[in-house]
Amino acid sequence: MAVTVCSTAFEVLGRRQAASLGCAELPIVLVPHPFGSISRSALPKIAKEVAAQIANLMAEKNTSRASTVLVDHCEMLNVSSDVEIFHRLCIEQKLSDGLPVIPPTPERVQKMLAQSARKPEEVIARLAPAFGDATVARIATNAVMAGCTPQCLNVLIAAVEAIACPEFNLQGIQATTNPAAVWLVVNGPIASALGVNGGANCLGQGVSANVTIGRALRLIMQNIGGAFPGDMDRATHGQPGKISLCCAENESVSPWISLHVERGLSTETSSVTAVGFSGTLNMNIHSKNAHEILRSIADAMAHGPSNDYWCGGEPWIVISPEHAQILSEAGLSKNEVKQHLWEGSKMSASRMADKDLERTRRTRREELGEITAHTKLSISRSASDIGILVAGGEGTHSVYIPGFGNSRSVTRAVDAI
Amino acid sequence: MIEVSTVLVPTAPKQIFVEKKQLTLESLRGRVIGFIDNAKPNFKDLVDDLEQILIAKYGARKVIKLRKRAASIPAPTAYIDQLAGACDLVITGSGD
Repeated sequence: MAVTVCSTAFEVLGRRQAASLGCAELPIVLVPHPFGSISRSALPKIAKEVAAQIANLMAEKNTSRASTVLVDHCEMLNVSSDVEIFHRLCIEQKLSDGLPVIPPTPERVQKMLAQSARKPEEVIARLAPAFGDATVARIATNAVMAGCTPQCLNVLIAAVEAIACPEFNLQGIQATTNPAAVWLVVNGPIASALGVNGGANCLGQGVSANVTIGRALRLIMQNIGGAFPGDMDRATHGQPGKISLCCAENESVSPWISLHVERGLSTETSSVTAVGFSGTLNMNIHSKNAHEILRSIADAMAHGPSNDYWCGGEPWIVISPEHAQILSEAGLSKNEVKQHLWEGSKMSASRMADKDLERTRRTRREELGEITAHTKLSISRSASDIGILVAGGEGTHSVYIPGFGNSRSVTRAVDAI
Repeated sequence: MIEVSTVLVPTAPKQIFVEKKQLTLESLRGRVIGFIDNAKPNFKDLVDDLEQILIAKYGARKVIKLRKRAASIPAPTAYIDQLAGACDLVITGSGD
């Protein structure tokens, strides 16, 4: 028999997810939220109440339900052709991200599906936290809604494969209170074929491929994965990257091997990398000295409330072409840049708040041994866990992208058309 | 007259599942109870208090306590296998 003790603010997530896994009858015993703020002296009283509720469950009769199987097919709806009415319907039904979407008519979805050799009913992955089946047809439907061109479908299929990998930890990213989002990086020939921007303003608005691919993935995560804000998505604030974040690497100007080649793919292979991230921080560094640039970046990476430090995570740096050129001309390889940043960003554990240090001690004990306030913590378990991407236009800016912490990026090859 | 279009629904059906029969116990007396601590603040202390009560007041035979390394990752398969093999009742923590 199983019982879950759940804080009240997370009851919706708990019950919805139990149902998703076929356990709608899972008993859930509630405790006050936020449970972590309650004083130690108040816990025994709560424990008595929880124990009594669990004991009462033993006395309840066991009623089992008959099995229920739902037919898995993509349903169709008749809706108003008026775009404003359709927009309001999508808002009411929680099918959009708040912005108007393109109605996914069978004709539009069929055009999208024609770009993939896969069968429409093929299940690419089951997406947490609702574990909905992301079929090729449903991916295409959400891609149409987001405004993607049909040629984007294969990138999205690969992206869905990537986020469903266990090491990515989609469950954690979708249901967390952290502002966790998914950043997609496109490499290889498909980036230019689709017009995915890796140059000026590549993390911002304006280029359709960037904005629509990122947006489509968010709609997929919401509509198929089930994580709607305030429901299974428990984010305290969220962040703008939850609407969309997708870019290309600026491969033509990078002095180093590109991300997908670093990960074992050939230059000619197209790929998408999914990164779980917590935000972006501008680093405006005017220095033309390589070691000064690295010192400044490492300084910016170190911050007490960081998820990467307590987990041993995967932080990323988007290095501008200008900074990359300076580093490369100083004789530094990408791996050497990572090593310098890893060493330079080591941070005294005393910079953490008490409870965060306590959590770090527990989480990283196996890796680092006994951690005290004087321990110098590394931002990741090894230098190779730091992600480096050369992207952007002209300017003295690089961007620090903190990771979610308990997530590892995943790279997947994109089906050739 | 309102024009109508047909669109595909972008969501997955809720859900394809087979309702599992919930195994129940008649009482806690003599039972082995397992905990998966979700590593959130205070849950360890709650589990320690529950252990005392479940044994002293409700007659549980034994409590096994396992704690996840971090809240936002799944419990290791080894934990699940251990508790499934040894326990009559497993209690997990969820949320903050």
